[in-house]
Formats: sequence, structure tokens, C-alpha cells
Amino acid sequence: MKQRGLAPYVFIAPYLVVMLLFTLYPLLNAGVLAFQQTNGPASRAFVGFDNFRFLLSDPTFYQALWNTTIFAACSVLIQLPLSMGLALLLNSGKGWARGLLRLVLFSPNLVGQIFVGVLFSVLFTARYGLVNRFLQALFGWGLEKQWLQDPSLVMPAIVITALWLYVGFNMIYFLAALQGVDKTLEEAARVDGASRFQVFWHVTLPSMRHVVVFVVVTSLIGSYQLFELPLALLSASNGRGPDNAGLTVITYLYDVGFVTGDLGLGSAVGWVLALIIFTLSMLQIRVSGVAEE
Amino acid sequence: MLERFPYGRAPFWLLLVALCSTLAVFVTQRLDAAKRPDLTFATSAANHLAAYREAAALFEKRRHVRVSVELVHSRALQTRLQNAMLAKTPVPDLVELLFGDIAYFTRGPLSDVGLVDLTERLETEGLKERLVESRLSLWSSRGHTFALPHDVHPVMLMYRADILESLGIDPNTIETWDDFVALRSKVVKDLDGDGVIDRYLIDLPIGEAWGPEILLLQRGVTLFDAQGRVTMNQPATIDTIDWYVHQVEGKERIATQAGWGQSLMKAMKDGLALFFIAPDWRTHAIELEAPNVRGLFRLMPLPAWKRGGRRTSTWGGSGLAITKATKDENLAWDFAKLLYFDRDELGRRYRATKILPPLKDSWTLPEFAEPSDFFRGQRIGEAYAALAPDVPEDWSTPYKTRAEDRLGGVVLRAVEHFRTHGDAGLRELIAKDLAEKTAEVEALVNRNVLAKE
Repeated sequence: MKQRGLAPYVFIAPYLVVMLLFTLYPLLNAGVLAFQQTNGPASRAFVGFDNFRFLLSDPTFYQALWNTTIFAACSVLIQLPLSMGLALLLNSGKGWARGLLRLVLFSPNLVGQIFVGVLFSVLFTARYGLVNRFLQALFGWGLEKQWLQDPSLVMPAIVITALWLYVGFNMIYFLAALQGVDKTLEEAARVDGASRFQVFWHVTLPSMRHVVVFVVVTSLIGSYQLFELPLALLSASNGRGPDNAGLTVITYLYDVGFVTGDLGLGSAVGWVLALIIFTLSMLQIRVSGVAEE
Repeated sequence: MLERFPYGRAPFWLLLVALCSTLAVFVTQRLDAAKRPDLTFATSAANHLAAYREAAALFEKRRHVRVSVELVHSRALQTRLQNAMLAKTPVPDLVELLFGDIAYFTRGPLSDVGLVDLTERLETEGLKERLVESRLSLWSSRGHTFALPHDVHPVMLMYRADILESLGIDPNTIETWDDFVALRSKVVKDLDGDGVIDRYLIDLPIGEAWGPEILLLQRGVTLFDAQGRVTMNQPATIDTIDWYVHQVEGKERIATQAGWGQSLMKAMKDGLALFFIAPDWRTHAIELEAPNVRGLFRLMPLPAWKRGGRRTSTWGGSGLAITKATKDENLAWDFAKLLYFDRDELGRRYRATKILPPLKDSWTLPEFAEPSDFFRGQRIGEAYAALAPDVPEDWSTPYKTRAEDRLGGVVLRAVEHFRTHGDAGLRELIAKDLAEKTAEVEALVNRNVLAKE
């Protein structure tokens, strides 16, 4: 009996050890580091709140935060409605076409952010890129547009690339949720004279609220952690883009931590980012009322 | 046995897998340790690899030791080295780093630098005088040299000789940038009448800092000085940006942005620009990546800012460092000398990479006088070597990326201003913006409390 009592602990011990070593310890260490200045591999000095003070006075950090927020807003306001629209379309379709379209729309996710970033960096090439050629052929404009060199076009380029990558991914969640909506409620609403939009807005959407909140929260978190996509798309400027137009908070963290070599400042950025994501997620959950349920 | 295990089948198999994998890790580690070479050398330069492996084989034969040469991507090399030094796990004995990456390792107090200080060895063995001295600046911090320079990377202009000939332009008559800009009327043209310019004079970037930076270096302006102080805010910087903006924007512009990779190769083939900035490494890359422009290009020195002035600049570089973790510093040093100071070795490597080494006495080797078929029979080794002694100094600091970004931003805003307002207030804007961005970089530099020794 005594032996059996120990057994579960023995079996979860490897997981616990790994978790303590690679999650909890780094987390605590990052907390300590945020109050230190590090110089390259060996030196550390306690600097109190100086890292946070510097961060909150650095215009580059604010630019990174602004860029990331714009991207997050585009994710929620453009990407998710598009995903929902596609899911509604696919949900109304039947047979093999639906399965095929689902696969086609989801497939960009199979190749990953780096591949997509490299692919779109070629598509967005001025004069010779497919996007510019297409614009020139269709509108007689855009051949020389420098999508990845013009600061005003960099964020649209990142958003377009992310749309191609993630619309299909989020669509799968919405499609699954749509298939779980009680059809009798929708039919009852239709019998009562509700229009298609009214049925969607008052019956379908509330029925899939938990999934919508989940997708919005994970999209927000993912957007604030954006790193690989701009890194590959804007590889000539190490993911920053011209005049930092494509700089995200995580790229900023990487720069200060691993290029400039100040892991203390990098940790401070990490904590500030964690705080932002936590606040936004809590706000979202509170506003949607999911927590109360 | 399975039946007698008291916790059931699944836990039994889990336990067995865990034990087997632990054992496998232990055994492979022991085997690896037994096979560990006397020297490990990591490089990120794929085009150096074959030559380095040959040199390693030679060194093994001479010294009866085992040398391993490993190819690692530059970003991975830097990150892994950083992490290994932080975690105090094994690091290579020698590493070839890219210019810029070394600053991370020399950022703190000198005593904490994880690389061997080579200053004394270079001086006592009389090697310093044999090198292009300006190249040591890239690998030095506070008067101490932590790596050997691999290259000089003088910058020339690569030009479409066939088109220039057809236009009756003699590149030998181009002495200054003013002479160069004056070619605009002959070259910049809408060739098919569709309203889009099809031929420009030169490829210059707007959104990336390398264009203005090369020109600033040519004028002797560096972003930082030897002590790591920010020095980018100078009258010459304002002049250069002002000049640059007029070349890349507006009706009178001479430049297009050809970009990188396939887009650059296509622009070269199509003659979208006739001149391209060309350090030695770029000529070799183009030779490999764009065989269809063979025989179309030649090289000329950069036009000077003033008649009789400097006709070159520099772009990039790599260097060889010995880590303090090496078991045998003398052995590592001897291997480094074979790679970087052995004339025969350098001759062989030049033939393979077309990168000019900084060892001045190697330039008289026959390999450097060989005519290049790719460049219409031009002796490009001699051409680069002639400019090499005049290559300007540059300094590596961990804040260089930030400074380059800020400089690029100043250029972009100046271009935007020029596009909408023309010359009115342009210089004032550049001066104000440059001062602000300099202060921003200084704020970051001045935070470094640990380097203040």
C-alpha cells in the first residue's frame, strides 16, 4: 500500500523536474534578471527599476508596442471576421467540395511562418514580384511599390501575409463551433421571421460565444507574440523593417536581449508584455461574460 | 516480468522507455567524449568550408592532432556561442564570427570577455605590421584585439560594361560623385515609353542603412569611435544624407532599389541599374548566383567625394577568435596562423572565395593577378588589393544595429520630406532628426554600467 502511494509521484517526477527546471526556474530567474543589468555572458549588476524606467522612456519600445497593437487589432477586426465568413460559407456547403476547401484554406498552416515569410518576401518584390505585377496589370499602378522598404506599406504587408496564414486556421475553430450550434433554435428563429443576419447575430453567434472568446484571446496572445513572420519577411533588416516599421515587441526583446546583450532589459520587456497580454485577456473574458458562466 | 510489475502495463513501458533513453544518452555522451577532437573550429562561411577542411587536414598531418571544422549558420553560431558561454557548457576552441557579432562578447569588463586577447601575440610575433591595420579596429575593444581579421572587403562599383560602351561612357573619366551624377541625362531613361523608368544609374537602398553608411565610411565618418562613443551626428553626415536623398528620390533621381537575391540578379541582367556597390564578397556571390551576367560587368573604384580623395569604402567582415575555454591556446593559435597568415593557404582560399585577405604580403601571389572571365578578363584581385590600404576604419559595438536603424530612419524621413516639400527645410530636418536619434542611441550606450572601467 505504501509502495502504491509513492508510485504516482515517481511517475510524475520527470514532468515535474522538467517543468521546474525549464519553466519555473527561468520564470523566477527572469524576475530577478529584470532588476539587473547584464553585459554579455558573464557580468551582472543590480540596477533596481532602471530597466523598466529605460523601457518606458525608449521611443523604439513604444514604436514596437504600437506596431504590435496595430497587428493585433487587424487580427481581431479583419482576420477573425474573414475566418467567420469563410466558416459560414463552408458550413452551408455540402459534400467533397467542403472538405477540399477546408483543406485548401487550412494548408498555409502546414508550412509554417518562416516558409510563408520567405514566400511573401518574393511575392512583394518591387517591379518583379507577383503582387506588383498583378497590381500593374489590373490597375496600371503599383509596379514600383516597395512593400518591404516603404514604412507605410510594411505593416499592410505583414497583415496580408498573416491573413493568408491564419484565416484558414481560425476558420476551423469557427466551423467546428458552427457545427455544434443547435439547428432547432435557428429554425425556430427563421419561422419567427428573423432574417439571415438576425439569425446569425441573435442565435448562432451567442451559441458559439465560448469558441469566439477563445479564438479572440488566443489571436490576441499570438499577435502580441509575433516574431518569426516579420523576421522572415523582413530578413534584410532582421525583422525590423525600414525605420522599425515592422518591429514587434518580441523582436525588440530579441534585439535588446540577444543582439545588444542585455538580458536584464530583455526580461523587463518580457514581464511588461506578459502584463499587457494578461490585462487584455482578462478584459476580453470579463467583457464577454464568459467567466460568469 | 510484465505481469509481476505492480503498477500495470503502461507504467512499466513508460519506465522502460525512460530507462533506455537515459542509458542511450549516457552511452552516446561517453562515446562522443572519447572521439572529441583536439581542436574544434566553428564557422558560418559555407564558401570557406572546403578550404578550411583542407587546411585542417594539413594541420592534422603536421601536428599529429585531430581538428574538427564545423559549419553553423551565422545566427545560430552567435546565439549558441552566447548561450554556451552563459551556461558554461563546451564551446569551440576557435570561432569565425561576423563583424558585429563580436561586440556582444566584448561588451562587459575586459576580464569577463570569453575570448582570448590576441594583442600581445600579434605585436610580439610581428604580425600586426603585416596586416591592413584599419581592419584590426573591427575586432578590437578598448585597445585590445580579440579576433584576427579574415578580410578587407574594399568596396568598388560593378558596372555594365556592355551598356556603358554602347552609350559611349568611359568609366575611367568618372573621378568624383559629381562626375557620376552628371551621367544621369545619358543613362536614366524610359526606354519603352510606358511612363516607367527602365534604366537607372545605380542601385541604392532607401529603407536600409548600408547605402548611406558605405558612403559615410568613405568620407571617414563612423557611427561610433574607438571608445564606443556615438559619433554619427557630424556635418559630413548631414551633407551625405542630403546628397543621398537627391539621388534616390524626385524627378532627378539616379537610383533605383534593386533589392536582394533574385530581384537583384534580374535587375543586373535587365540593366535596370548600370552600377552596383560591390565589395569583394559580393562579386563572388554574384558569380555563383547569376551566371547569366558573365562577361557583362567590370569593376571600377568608387567615385571620390573630392578629386584625389578616397576611392573606396568597406562593407562587412568576419574574424577568427579563440575562446578562453580552449584546452590548448598555443595549438589553437598555431591553427589560426595557418588559416590566416600562411601565404599558400591564403592564395588557395582567394582562388575559391575571391575575398581579399588583410595580409599585405600575400597580395603578390599569382592567384591575385589572375584575370577573371566573369569580369571580362579584369584582374579583380589586383584591383581590390590596390584599394585595400585605403580602406577606412570602423568600430564594432553592440549598439551598432540600433545606430544603423536610426540612421536609416533619418534617411527615410528626409526622403519623405523631399518627396512632399522639396528642398525647403530639408537640411534643418535632417540635422534635427539626426541629433534626436543620436541622443536616443547615446541613452542606450550610457546605460552600460559594467563596461565603465
